[in-house]
Amino acid sequence: MTTEFRASVVTLDAGSDDSGSLTTELYRRIEGRLAYPTDLLDIPGLLQGAILRSEHAHARLLRVDTTRARRMPGVHAVVTADDVPGVNRFGIVVRDQPVFCVDRVRYEGDAIAAVAADTRAQAQAALAAIEVEYEPLPLVSDAMTAEQQPPLHESSNLLAQERFDCGDVDKAFAACHVVIEQEYRTPRQMHAFMETEGGVAIPDGTGGIVFRVGCQSGHRDVGQLADILDLAPSRVTVEAMATGGAFGGKDELTIQPAAGILALKAGRPVMIQLGRFESCRAGMKRHPVVAKMKTGCDANGRLLAHKVDAVLDTGAYASLGPAVLENYLDHATAPLYRIHAYSVSGRLVYTNNGVSGAFRGFGGNQATFAIESQLDALARALGRCPRELRRINLRTVDEPGSRHQPVRWTVAPVDLLRQAQQSPLWTLQKETSGRWLTGTGMALGAQGNGLGDGLPDSGGGRIALTPGGRIRVEFGFADYGQNVGEAITRAVSKGLGCGCGEIDVVLGHSRGPDSGPTSASRSSVLVHGVLRRMLPLWKAAVRQQAAVLTGYSLDHLAHGPGGIFHLGQRVLSYRELAENGRLEELVADAAQDFPVAPGQEKPVGRYLQLQIATVARVAVDRLTGRVRVTDLHHITAAGRVIYPPGYLGQIEGAAVMGLGMTLTEDMPMHEARMQRNNLDQYLIPTFQDAPAQRVDVLDDTPGNDPFPVRGVGELGIEAVAPAITSAIEAATGVRVHKLPVDPGVLLKGIHRQENLA
Amino acid sequence: MQSEVNARGEVRVLRPGSAREAVTMARRWGGTYIAGASWLQPVWERDQCWPRCLVALDPRWPGFRGIERAERGLVIGALTTLDELSRHPLIHDYLPALPELLKLVAGPGVRRLGTVAGNLCAGGDLSALFLSLDARLDLVGCDGPESKSLAAGYIASQGVDLIQSITLPDSRLWRIAVDKLGHRERFSPTRATVACVHGGDRLRLAVCGEGGPRRLPITEAALNDGHSRSDVDRARLLASELESCGWQDPTLRLAIQRMVDYLLAEVGHDD
Ligand SMILES: Cc1cc2nc3c(=O)[nH]c(=O)nc-3n(C[C@H](O)[C@H](O)[C@H](O)COP(=O)(O)OP(=O)(O)OC[C@H]3O[C@@H](n4cnc5c(N)ncnc54)[C@H](O)[C@@H]3O)c2cc1C
Repeated sequence: MTTEFRASVVTLDAGSDDSGSLTTELYRRIEGRLAYPTDLLDIPGLLQGAILRSEHAHARLLRVDTTRARRMPGVHAVVTADDVPGVNRFGIVVRDQPVFCVDRVRYEGDAIAAVAADTRAQAQAALAAIEVEYEPLPLVSDAMTAEQQPPLHESSNLLAQERFDCGDVDKAFAACHVVIEQEYRTPRQMHAFMETEGGVAIPDGTGGIVFRVGCQSGHRDVGQLADILDLAPSRVTVEAMATGGAFGGKDELTIQPAAGILALKAGRPVMIQLGRFESCRAGMKRHPVVAKMKTGCDANGRLLAHKVDAVLDTGAYASLGPAVLENYLDHATAPLYRIHAYSVSGRLVYTNNGVSGAFRGFGGNQATFAIESQLDALARALGRCPRELRRINLRTVDEPGSRHQPVRWTVAPVDLLRQAQQSPLWTLQKETSGRWLTGTGMALGAQGNGLGDGLPDSGGGRIALTPGGRIRVEFGFADYGQNVGEAITRAVSKGLGCGCGEIDVVLGHSRGPDSGPTSASRSSVLVHGVLRRMLPLWKAAVRQQAAVLTGYSLDHLAHGPGGIFHLGQRVLSYRELAENGRLEELVADAAQDFPVAPGQEKPVGRYLQLQIATVARVAVDRLTGRVRVTDLHHITAAGRVIYPPGYLGQIEGAAVMGLGMTLTEDMPMHEARMQRNNLDQYLIPTFQDAPAQRVDVLDDTPGNDPFPVRGVGELGIEAVAPAITSAIEAATGVRVHKLPVDPGVLLKGIHRQENLA
Repeated sequence: MQSEVNARGEVRVLRPGSAREAVTMARRWGGTYIAGASWLQPVWERDQCWPRCLVALDPRWPGFRGIERAERGLVIGALTTLDELSRHPLIHDYLPALPELLKLVAGPGVRRLGTVAGNLCAGGDLSALFLSLDARLDLVGCDGPESKSLAAGYIASQGVDLIQSITLPDSRLWRIAVDKLGHRERFSPTRATVACVHGGDRLRLAVCGEGGPRRLPITEAALNDGHSRSDVDRARLLASELESCGWQDPTLRLAIQRMVDYLLAEVGHDD
């Protein structure tokens, strides 16, 4: 790492990591040698499962006849709603999604039946032989009018609505010197993970079942699956395997219910792996949001009033929609800025447009796009520098959050802004004549860690010595590319003074400790907190036995590479300890609640806050309106960096995901049908689209800070979109309010300005 | 049109021993020629609909693969892959604009499978450049060999005519400029690819992409007739020509018009 600007700023450089163990793990990952659920093909007796999906986006289901399919060659089980042993419903927040539809389908891709056969081709052939009779129903395809349409579920299409108020907003608007009113639209982004949804359900031979799948919360899934399969939770085991990406898209159950029911019925292991077409059609998406924002300030630029009305399209089922709505609105209150009065409201509606749910950023980045755009517009209207306008409105570290809740930043927001203002990208020459018009723009974003709003949020871990003398550390988190295992290894190695190679990290096993879901950027915080409790317990237990075995005083024994040391000499290896000690006592468990603000009866929002400033440089083709993002410079304030390659990977990876949402990614719908079904049509950024990136870490957390480590899984996506659109405006004079940016809109704007000139 | 089936397993693949036999088989069974399959296969998978019968083309047939210098220019075997094309010394010598364009065509995997004829039949990026170069198709017809201009080939239906090779004129002394507008930097189908060739005394223009591959004879004539026109008039002419041949999106027409202006300046055309 090289030091830049000030003592507390470091520019991250993955190559500077010197721990030596990073290569093996990272290369295994890069070379595709990690075992993914897709690879579980050599399980004895494995059958291939497939799901029959609705051809209609909304229809009454009149008849499902599986007679022919059951007689097809190689078929071992065909299941429908009649075969669901327990509750035919699932959903993390609201259980409104049927495992198999009963009398109605609500989106194109809703599950109707499933087949297990010897081969995938036989399973597909059997699906084709299932006769389904539909009676099409009117579509609810426009989220804006969904509430006026016939309900898709028992009550209205309004699934949830929420409102945050502060002060008298009408009075505040009356005092404004400038008011900006604008509508913002963000796309239905697809997770586009490398590995589609999949896994294997394996009957354990005693009536129970083991799932080896790509998922984000094995423990939580056990509860839902036990209810669906009508089994005691103790009979359901979930192993969340390392999976090729999740980003929220595997938070909800995916193939598990169908695979489990088929496996129980056939009495054999069943694999279901969605094809790309099926994943595009049936998989979760990011909530598209239409938000009307009205924001006003006084003549000096002080923010006085802010009003938001947002509509989020959750599609046919709730999944995590209500929580996404909450996080959207939390971000729509503009957490970084002091606003005299606001009224922020949002509605989450059911439609027949697929299903939307968790996605990196979790609604927050959609709101930040609009908020930061509003600030730029106010600055423009006042003829002031947008950064200056931000500066005078930023909260101080001592102030409460935007919802009057206590918050804990790692640096003062104004310091982050100052750092962003010093980005070298501002000094690059602006091209205004040739083919490519260049410009630099910036946006700020805040993001909280944890599930928030007082939701139950806790997690634990375990450390033990194996019979072979290795240190085994267990957490319930899933590894979907973020490499949380490496971060755990580093922390344990540091805490015990041992080599990374002595540690085995076991993740995602529902029989192991429950760490809670791998979401909400919560893992790093919990890992750090749990290890802080757990390691001293384990060290004490180990030293106690070492004292007995070696005869040295417990107080003079210390942990070090390979075992226990006395006065700098290793006196007992971990292997010797394992062979001669009482292993059952060499185990330590610890758990903790996710940190929330002290003294709050009902916590509001998120206590641990992170910040990011993203400075973007773009080149816009004057001829065609296409946009190249050439540079992204992020300044993060998210506590200490414990694993630089992981930190960089998260910030840069999330930023490229945000770039995709800004420039090319959308799943357009037509009459509630997805209009893209493969990655040759749904265009995610490639290496050629990825800009040069730099990540500067700004950290002022004191040495004794109880929460020095924060989770950065989502932070990188927070401010990318508004930074890019701000840079586009700097380059062309055209501000875009709808994502992804339409080059045609830009071209028309550029053309209009040229004609005026 | 031949009938279609809903399972890949039901597809019958015919493997003719010669080009003539391929033509006969295609005619008799209504088969679709298949080269690298890189364009056909994703379409079939998407629609879950396969032709009943395929006629597999064989690059070992004489004249179907490789690049040769000929009296008239260059002869490119129809089954030469895009990758081979981009690396061939003759192409770098005769047509340096082509390897540059090929960098923007698909990704390495597709370029290793995809062939020149397949790209032209799919209306890919090569079409604009080859149309503007007055490329000719050397065909193996039912009634023997035949040569046809590429432009005429597009007008005629791509039925049973089998392309053996493509002949490009010697363009070493010409000024050539090509530009592509995709959805992203690489690995994107073309929205509009525009090629502009200044071959001594004449300018030639062609476009391919969302509105289909087209030579633009009306705009070309206006550029070549020696009468100076205002930029506005020329833009109108091009816009109406594009619209009349299938380019319906007005902003895409605007982009093409600006790309054309830029390319004209690149090839040194001053109106
Ligand atoms: C992911 C992806 C991205 C792509 N991106 C681009 C891009 O950026 N730019 C671009 O230009 N293209 C792009 N393509 C298209 C690609 O260039 C074509 O797929 C390829 O060139 C087709 O060649 P092929 O040999 O595979 O044709 P095939 O798929 O085998 O055939 C294509 C068509 O050509 C016909 N055909 C083939 N050979 C002959 C012949 N000798 N005589 C008569 N008919 C014949 C076939 O009958 C068929 O109709 C992309 C394709 C994919 C899959």
